Amino acid sequence: MSLIDLSRWQFALTVCFHMTFPAITVGMSVFLCVIYAMYWRTKKPVYLQMFRFWRRIFAVGFALGVVAGEVITFQMGLNWGIFGAKTGPIIGPIIGMEVVTAFFVEAGFIGILLYGDGRVRHLTMFVSTVMVSIGTILSTTWILAANSWMQTPQGYTVQNGQYVPTDWVAAIFTPAFAWRYPHMLLAVLISGAIFIAGISAYYLVKNRSKGFARRSLSIALGVAALLVPVQLLVGDGLAGNVDVAYQPSKLEAIEGNWQNGNTGWVIFAIPDQAAAKNLVQISVPWLGSAIAKDPTGKTATPGLDNTPVNDRPDMAATFWGFRAMFFASLFLFATAFMSVVLRLRGKLWESRRFHKYVLWTTPIGIVAILGGWVTSEAGRQPWVVFGLLRTSAAVSKLAPGTVLFSVIGFSLIYLILLVAYIVYIVHTVKIGPERDDPRVTADLTPGATVESESAAPVELTPEVAR
Amino acid sequence: MTIIWFLVILFCLIMYIVFDGYDLGIGVGTLFERVPERKRHMIELVATGWDGNETWLILLAVGLWGGFPLAFGVILPHLYLPLIIALFALIVRGGSIELISQTENPPQILTWAFGIASLVAAFAQGFALGELTSTAHVVDGVYTGSEGGFPWYPIVLGVTVAFGYTALGYAYLKLKSEGELRVSAARRGGVVAVVTVVLGAVSLISIAGTAAPLNLATPGRALTFWGLIVFALVGAVTAAVNFRRRTDSHPTADLLPFAGLVVTTVATLLAFTVSHYPLLVPPSLTVNSAVGPYNTMVFLLVGIGLNIPLIIFYHWFAHRTFGGKFRVHETPQARTSILTGASNER
Repeated sequence: MSLIDLSRWQFALTVCFHMTFPAITVGMSVFLCVIYAMYWRTKKPVYLQMFRFWRRIFAVGFALGVVAGEVITFQMGLNWGIFGAKTGPIIGPIIGMEVVTAFFVEAGFIGILLYGDGRVRHLTMFVSTVMVSIGTILSTTWILAANSWMQTPQGYTVQNGQYVPTDWVAAIFTPAFAWRYPHMLLAVLISGAIFIAGISAYYLVKNRSKGFARRSLSIALGVAALLVPVQLLVGDGLAGNVDVAYQPSKLEAIEGNWQNGNTGWVIFAIPDQAAAKNLVQISVPWLGSAIAKDPTGKTATPGLDNTPVNDRPDMAATFWGFRAMFFASLFLFATAFMSVVLRLRGKLWESRRFHKYVLWTTPIGIVAILGGWVTSEAGRQPWVVFGLLRTSAAVSKLAPGTVLFSVIGFSLIYLILLVAYIVYIVHTVKIGPERDDPRVTADLTPGATVESESAAPVELTPEVAR
Repeated sequence: MTIIWFLVILFCLIMYIVFDGYDLGIGVGTLFERVPERKRHMIELVATGWDGNETWLILLAVGLWGGFPLAFGVILPHLYLPLIIALFALIVRGGSIELISQTENPPQILTWAFGIASLVAAFAQGFALGELTSTAHVVDGVYTGSEGGFPWYPIVLGVTVAFGYTALGYAYLKLKSEGELRVSAARRGGVVAVVTVVLGAVSLISIAGTAAPLNLATPGRALTFWGLIVFALVGAVTAAVNFRRRTDSHPTADLLPFAGLVVTTVATLLAFTVSHYPLLVPPSLTVNSAVGPYNTMVFLLVGIGLNIPLIIFYHWFAHRTFGGKFRVHETPQARTSILTGASNER
């Protein structure tokens, strides 16, 4: 492997590891904020139980997301020093805005969200959950702005080899941002909801903590049912309005054709990049044309041969990244659709077979998001800033041995932490939400507690629960 | 604008070293703590604040990236190994601390991982700072390699910083804890603080042998430099004396070790800055040669500069919520048992 391959692998590993956690925690932070509001208003113990349990799942994912995100920032300079120096005037300030408007907000309030329960008032707790979710959403916003500039750069001029901003509004609100931002925001909300639904379904399957599990499942699947159809439309709009218009090479690689003329849709392919042909290919007739909104079956999908050899992205990565996202989204749609049908028939909490299905699809939203990022980033190659800066010209001139050391180190650490995280989740889920029940562990919030200095009455009465 | 932004970055560096310094230092302290409850207590104390403290490091990196893009593109590859190792350690640390504080009986390996990662991070950060004094080859603004040779100065500074962080950690512990934990923090902290001062003096003298010796050519520089060093010494002596004192005879004895060490840290960092400005990395990478374009600097100063008071507020708010002495029975795990007792009474 060459220096550039090593640096690309290191970056790919880091972003994939990182992305797994926001895919869970952004949606979950919003969920926690809603749950706490419901508890605060209704004082029903089950909401406090939900808040405490989901917070356990949230906490570790959040921490891992933070530390892996930190690594990404540093890698922009460590491994991609030339990229850092050239794009710094534009991307540096955008990420800087992320740090001051998102990271510090999250960091300031996450301690209260995690450890404040029982030490601070309900209002402070609630404000903290709101601030943390605002932080995670703003973080998504700025990151998408920075990455979208790399997809469809504008609002700059070139001075001494650096990209110098001339129009900040244009540089932040790029054509890619307009579609990719809603696409990503919906994606993290959906994957978080599916993750919550999956774990809740486990308790329904196991006949445990039903009050807790039913409410969690119901809220999570309600959110999924609303957002998944919107997401399919936004995703289609993204392909049509950004890829077709600005990045035809990415679209060609996604579709999996080398020559023009195929009116079908390639469902399976093993591409051979060097020979510019597919070794194996299964194509569904007519479907390609139909996706291009021509039901007569005459519109063909353009092939990657239209792009000069040196400007072609790797078809296998782009094609399969997209397929992973697309096939996962079919599962998501099925979940959303079935949940609505069952809900209307009043069987959402009864159908065991559905609960088992939901349990098995717990990580499917994360798979979709990772697939989507592979499509987006592999499909942009060989450019790091599309059409402007080649990835091969952006890499730091380091000794390959040094980079090999760091790739191995990161791989090991990520692998260990991922395993530790999964073990932790499984362990926490098996212990279950019973210990978080306020009838076992009282609410210590000042005003609601027996230990409170004010003589407020104890708010939790046994009959609420039983 | 260049100078203002440079000061912002320096401010981030100081905030990072003071705040993550104490929590890395407490992490190092857990390695030498035998009593499990005290160990747990120390970790819980770090758990409430490490995330915010580490955010200063990201702002430092991003501030450098936006404001001095050429320096970002040169310094990071130049310090590749120590920074990568520091990042390894910070990842392990962040992962292990949340796993520990969310689990009732965390496996021993996690607490060890947390302590060792804290030590490695502290040493690697000092090493990285030390390596800033070695030559980086730059051609047309692009990093092309570093001067080879045995890195003795970074090692000296790495050890110094590891001791310095540990001293800060014990000082913070003395401030935030009670009982035996405070007694042991005071005893150990005093020793570590004295060792740090000696190591600091060694670092100061031996920097003359690097590619970036002290530049005290003008009287203004020399005066400021030595003035700051005096401040640093006063801070360190105050800290060392007050580590030993008890609060019943000296009411400020819990606050002064930490306050004194903060003065020392800030004064030392300022002294090194004064003696090197505007040089960033030898031989010739300076603040002025690396500064970003005008439009970027305006955006940074308005967008990020105006947010700085706000982030200081968040930071203060987060620390204030957990202000006062940090008590064991307030930890989420211990709370369960206390509460079960409390609800029985009801």
